[in-house]
Amino acid sequence: MTSRQLNMVQAINSTLDFALSKNDSVVLLGEDIGRDGGVFRVTEGLQAKYGAERVIDMPLVELGIVGMAIGMALNGLKPIPEIQFQDFIFTAFDQLVNQAAKLRYRSGGQYNVPMILRTPYGGGIKGGLYHSQSGEAYFAHTAGLTVISPSNAYDAKGLLISSLEYEDPIIFLEPKKLYRAAKMEVPDEEYKIPIGKASIVREGDDLTIITYGSMVPLVNSAVEKNKVNAEIIDLRTIMPYDGEAILQSVKKTGRAMIVHEAPRTLGMGSEISAFLAERAIDYLMAPILRVTGPDTPFPYRLEDYYMPNERKIMKAVGKLMEFR
Amino acid sequence: MTEDFNDQEEKDVFLRAYSSMILSRMFDKKIVSAQRQGRVGFYTPTIGQEATQVGVSMALKKGDLVYEYYRDVPFMIHRGVPIEILLDQIMGNGEDSAKGRQMPSHYNAKEYNFMSVQSPVAANLPLAVGAAYAIKLRKEDKVVVTTFGDGSTSTPDFHAAMNLASVFNLPIIFLCENNQWAISLPVEKQTKVEIWKKAEAYGAHGVKVDGNDFLETFKVAKEAVERARSGKGPVLIEAVSYRIGPHSTSDDPSKYRSEGITEGSEKDPIVIAEKRLKELDYITDEVIDKMKSEAKRIVDEKFDEREKIPPPKPETMFDDVYKEMTWIIKEEKGEVL
Ligand SMILES: Cc1ncc(C[n+]2csc(CCOP(=O)(O)OP(=O)(O)O)c2C)c(N)n1
Ligand SMILES: [Mg+2]
Repeated sequence: MTSRQLNMVQAINSTLDFALSKNDSVVLLGEDIGRDGGVFRVTEGLQAKYGAERVIDMPLVELGIVGMAIGMALNGLKPIPEIQFQDFIFTAFDQLVNQAAKLRYRSGGQYNVPMILRTPYGGGIKGGLYHSQSGEAYFAHTAGLTVISPSNAYDAKGLLISSLEYEDPIIFLEPKKLYRAAKMEVPDEEYKIPIGKASIVREGDDLTIITYGSMVPLVNSAVEKNKVNAEIIDLRTIMPYDGEAILQSVKKTGRAMIVHEAPRTLGMGSEISAFLAERAIDYLMAPILRVTGPDTPFPYRLEDYYMPNERKIMKAVGKLMEFR
Repeated sequence: MTEDFNDQEEKDVFLRAYSSMILSRMFDKKIVSAQRQGRVGFYTPTIGQEATQVGVSMALKKGDLVYEYYRDVPFMIHRGVPIEILLDQIMGNGEDSAKGRQMPSHYNAKEYNFMSVQSPVAANLPLAVGAAYAIKLRKEDKVVVTTFGDGSTSTPDFHAAMNLASVFNLPIIFLCENNQWAISLPVEKQTKVEIWKKAEAYGAHGVKVDGNDFLETFKVAKEAVERARSGKGPVLIEAVSYRIGPHSTSDDPSKYRSEGITEGSEKDPIVIAEKRLKELDYITDEVIDKMKSEAKRIVDEKFDEREKIPPPKPETMFDDVYKEMTWIIKEEKGEVL
C-alpha cells in the first residue's frame, strides 16, 4: 500500500481528481476554480485535465451555482459546487434550504439531490467579518442537509470518497485555517470514512471534549501540553452527529465540554448539551461547558480574542475538574 | 467642458482631479509594497480605475450619497476623505472609526457620505436603491451613486436593484467599474451582452464610457447626474478600464491571464490625464514631477505616522452588536477578557 505526505488542500485536490477520473458524471462548478485553480488552489490543475465543461468557471452568482448544481444532481450528474468562502453562501440559502434540503421530502422520495457543496469556512486567517464565519449551525438546523467537516488530510479524503456515493445534499465545510497547517500520510488508494461516525482522537477518563473541524488540532495540543486525561471526540459529521459515540464517552468520563469557533448561542454546542442533558444527566458530575466564539460578528484585528484558544480551553477544563 | 466653468475654474477642477489620481496611485503603491513587507495584512489595489472614479466624483455635489465597493480609494480621496481614515482602516488600528473590525479595503467614511463597505459583492446596490427612495420621498436635492465591478452584474442583487430603481424611477447612478476581470474570470465569460445595454431591459438609461479617461467619464457622469437629479430616473454607466494590478494582494494573475494594460503605458489613466492636461496647457512636466514627489512624501509620512497607533482595545470587540449590549454578550465579554 503506497501513501504520500499531503496537506488538506492536496488531499482534497487528489480526491477530486480521482472522482473526476472515475465517474464521468462528476462535475465541478464554482468561481475561479478552473483556470485559476481556486483561490485556495484546491482545484489546481483539474480544468486542464478534465476540460472546462466538467470543471466550470462560473459567473459571480452563488444562487446560480447552487441552483444549477441542484438541477444537475436531479438529472444524473454528481455536481460538486464550490462556494469560494462560506460567508458568500447566503444569497444561495433559499436554494439550499427550500430546494436542495426539501426535494426528497416534498416529492415523496421521488427526487433526491446527490450534490457535495464544498466551501472553506472559519477564522484564523485575518479575514474579518466576511471571510471567517462558521455557519454550520444554519445548515445543521435544516432538515435534509448533511453537514461534514474534516479536521485533517486523511479524514478529508475518506469523507469526500464516502460523500461521492451519498444520495443527499452535503455541505462539506473545509476549515481553511487547516488547509496547509499539517501534512500527514494519506494512502494513494481509495478508502472511506463513514458519514455519521465520529472518531475518538484520543482516549481519556476524566472528561470528554467534543469538537470538530478547525478546533481539533487546538484541543488536541492543549490537552497534550497540559497533560489532561481527556477523551477527545472529533465529530467529523456535524449532522447527523454521532450521538452514540458522545454518549458512550460521557458515560465513562462523567464530564463534557464542547469546543467550536462558531458563536455560542444555538451553536452545535447547544444541541449537544441538550442531547446530553436529556440522556446522560445521571452520569454527569459537572455542568456541560461550551468554549466557543462569542455572539458577535467576527472581528479583524481582534481575531485572536475571538477565537477559542488554549487558555480558554484550559480554563474550562479547570472548571469542570474542580466542580463539586 | 468650457460651458461649465470659466478657464481658471476649469483649470482648478481638472488639476484637483489629477492630483487626487496621483495621490491614489501613490497610496496604492505604498500599500502594496507595505503588504509585501508584512506591514499590512491584505489590500485590493485600485490601480487602473482612478479616472473612472474621479471622473464620476467630479460630477457630484457634497450632499450626494455614495454606496461604494472595496476598490474605491480614488473616489474617496477625490471627495475629500483624508488618507488617514483609509490608512487607519487598512491597519485596523485603534483610531479606525470601525474599531479595526473589518478586513483591509473595507472603508468607512460616514462624514463624507460614503457607506460602510461589505465584502459580498453587489450587496450595496439594493441599499443604494433604498437610499434613493428616501431621497425622493423626502424631496431632497440629492442623488445616490453606487459602485461595483463587472463580475457583480451577475448577482441577484444587481438585478433586484436595477429593477427596483427603474420601477420607482429613482435618482440613482449605477456605476459599473468594468475592469474586465472578476478575479480570474474575464468579462466575456461573465456576461453575453455589454453591461450598459442591460439598462434598457429594466427601463433605465444605459451608457458606456472610456473609464481610463477622466474627462470623458466626467462628461458622461455629469449628464447622468443631471438626468437623475431632474427626476428622469436611474442611469447605468459602464466605465471600461482595466485592472492593472492583481485582484488582491493574495492573487497571482499570471495563473490566468497575460499582461494587458501596464502602468505607464498609453492607456494608463494617469498617462491619459497628463496628456489631456498638457493639451489644455494646464500642466507641465515639471509640475507633474513635483506633484508626484509631493504625493509620495505625504503617503510615506502618513503611513509611518498611522503605523504607530496601537490596536483597538480587546473589550471594544463586544460593542455595537446591538445598541444595548445583551446580557449574553456582557457575560461573554467578562469571560474573554
Ligand atoms: C457574493 C460574493 N461572492 C464571491 C466573492 C469573492 N470575490 C471577491 S471579489 C470577486 C470578484 C469581483 O469582481 P468584480 O465585480 O468585477 O469587481 P473587481 O474586483 O474586479 O473590482 C469575488 C468573486 C464575494 N466577495 N462576494
Ligand atoms: Mg472586475
